[in-house]
Amino acid sequence: MFTTQLLDVVTTAGVLYIVALGLLIVYGVLKIINLAHGAFLAVGAYAGVVTTGLGWNPWTAPLLAFVVGVVVAALVEWRVLRRLYARPLDTILATWGLNIIVVQLITLYFGREIRFAESAIGRAVTVSGATYSEYRLVLLLLALALGVAVWLVMQRTQIGIVARAVIMNEELAQALGINTRLVRFVTFCLGAGLAALAGALLTPLVSVHPNLGVPWLINAFMLVLVAGVSLANLALAALVLGGAQVLVSSYGNPVLGSLTIVILAVIILRFRTITI
Amino acid sequence: MRERWTNTRSRSLAALVGVLIAAMVPAGAVQSQDKKPIVIAVPVGLSGVNSVVAPAVVQSGELAVEEINLRGGVLGRKLQLVPLDDESGPAGAVKAFNTAIRQHKADTIITMETSAARNAGAPIAERAKTLFIYTSFYEGRACGKHLFVNAWVPEQVVPPLIKFMTDEKKVKKWFALGSDYAFGRGMIEAAKKTIKGMGGTILGEEYQPLQQSDWTAIISKIRAANPDGIIYSTSGGGPNIDFMKQFKAAGLKMPVGSLSIDELTAEAGGGAAEGVYYTGDYFTGLDNPANQKFLEAMKRKFGGNLKTPNSLSEPEYDGIYAYAKAVEKAGTTDVDKLVQVLPTIIFTGPRGQVQMNKQHHAPLPVYLAQVQADGKTKVLKSFGLVDPGNQCPNLK
Repeated sequence: MFTTQLLDVVTTAGVLYIVALGLLIVYGVLKIINLAHGAFLAVGAYAGVVTTGLGWNPWTAPLLAFVVGVVVAALVEWRVLRRLYARPLDTILATWGLNIIVVQLITLYFGREIRFAESAIGRAVTVSGATYSEYRLVLLLLALALGVAVWLVMQRTQIGIVARAVIMNEELAQALGINTRLVRFVTFCLGAGLAALAGALLTPLVSVHPNLGVPWLINAFMLVLVAGVSLANLALAALVLGGAQVLVSSYGNPVLGSLTIVILAVIILRFRTITI
Repeated sequence: MRERWTNTRSRSLAALVGVLIAAMVPAGAVQSQDKKPIVIAVPVGLSGVNSVVAPAVVQSGELAVEEINLRGGVLGRKLQLVPLDDESGPAGAVKAFNTAIRQHKADTIITMETSAARNAGAPIAERAKTLFIYTSFYEGRACGKHLFVNAWVPEQVVPPLIKFMTDEKKVKKWFALGSDYAFGRGMIEAAKKTIKGMGGTILGEEYQPLQQSDWTAIISKIRAANPDGIIYSTSGGGPNIDFMKQFKAAGLKMPVGSLSIDELTAEAGGGAAEGVYYTGDYFTGLDNPANQKFLEAMKRKFGGNLKTPNSLSEPEYDGIYAYAKAVEKAGTTDVDKLVQVLPTIIFTGPRGQVQMNKQHHAPLPVYLAQVQADGKTKVLKSFGLVDPGNQCPNLK
């Protein structure tokens, strides 16, 4: 029982981390909350439907999802978002509108009914006496790998250094000759690509329908609000909030559990000083 | 001049035609009065949560109307189907019912709706004295002088499923779970009553908020409780597959009975719901001539646009036939007469024999089915006609 609960906590944190990562990156650099995050999750999930339809290996779904996410995001950034950076409040409207448009396009093409996406792993394995879903364990590893990869990009690559400069002080970075427009473009594409990737990784856990992203968007939003722009904080927030949700659901009930993330987020925000 | 001449000539022609028509008027007027079509309004969720199933409901209705009209209609009058959008909710239903009754002068309303939409629409039909045949399975106990129901209530599908799992699958210790809303809790409530009545015990009972798709905590509780079997009732569609995917991936293997899965959802889930038992009154795999004929006619009429008929859409077909037969027998569309006649009408359709003779509800043929490895549903056995019990004690 204890092992199972421990695994529940860490794997739930892993799933939340994967889902929130793209949102955090966009928020960090662009200072906007991408409300189309849920739509990109859906795009990724439907990449799984497409690869299943084509008879491809289920592991190609996350890759296809990432590519499609990046392409859609590139179009949107180029034609819409770029004009709105000076008006942060309007970006909320624009990204929410984008969310509706993308979800409706998916609905038009695939229909509202649930669709089938092949799972790569559906087995259970035994971990120190507890039988547990192998896929959730794989997701945990993927969360760690994604976290490390994004951290390395931010710390060790040119684009990462530039991005961090923009995060810390955009005007100063601009004055130093950094092409902030390019940084924003790349970041938005990367964030959306990660969101779509997360969507594809969710399909073995949940059914695929056009609105599947909405509940995840809300949780991811709470996590990002609590974490600010730090990758380590995001991991911590996922562990604390996700863990609390699992434990309250286990010892109380899932109705209370689903409130936990929101309530804890409010409490933490009350006491956390906003730092970047 | 030439124009003027033409004009005069056409005028005299018109006059001639006028005279001819006038000569035919007495017969003609009565005829056209009588030949006015019988209007069947179908307020259904073309948008909103029911928009997945609503097109199939309309198709069932279109087929019934076409078949009846090809045989010359009813009392020499054609049937006319008027689908309206109730937006799957109460506000839309109020608009749709008023439009149906005031604008389209509907003779009857025969439709599948959400319970919220029905609760808003039924009083409007009741006040306007319009016969309303409700064709959706629902939580039960909706009553009205002009309201009839030809689909199942929990009393008809829950006990047979529990009994089967108790007797054949030897489930004594149960774990019950569902989505946290009226229908999910209502179905589990009905299941618990049957389980206790059969001497079973309930080790745990859990509800998950509607928007939450991660069942991890409940699955861990199931594992800790280690029951003989599971009975669950989520909201329709996706949540069934969410739960079953995660249940399977966790390596749990006890038998599962579902009160919320349907054929389309099971198939869309691929093998996710393999092995799940469920009961219902209609499955495409029902092996009877009426169902074969129905499915073939649907395929012929709608071809590639066919929405797979299901337990929410097929009763629309039965409902229209029952109404047509009642009008034929009563010799009128007068609602007071129809309310008397409708309970005496037996229609044997794709589901089997349906007669709304039990307090405006119908004893229904109920079947046990199981989801196969490819997601398709296989009908395992029939329970025969199952009584709806006391739904409306104040009605006959």
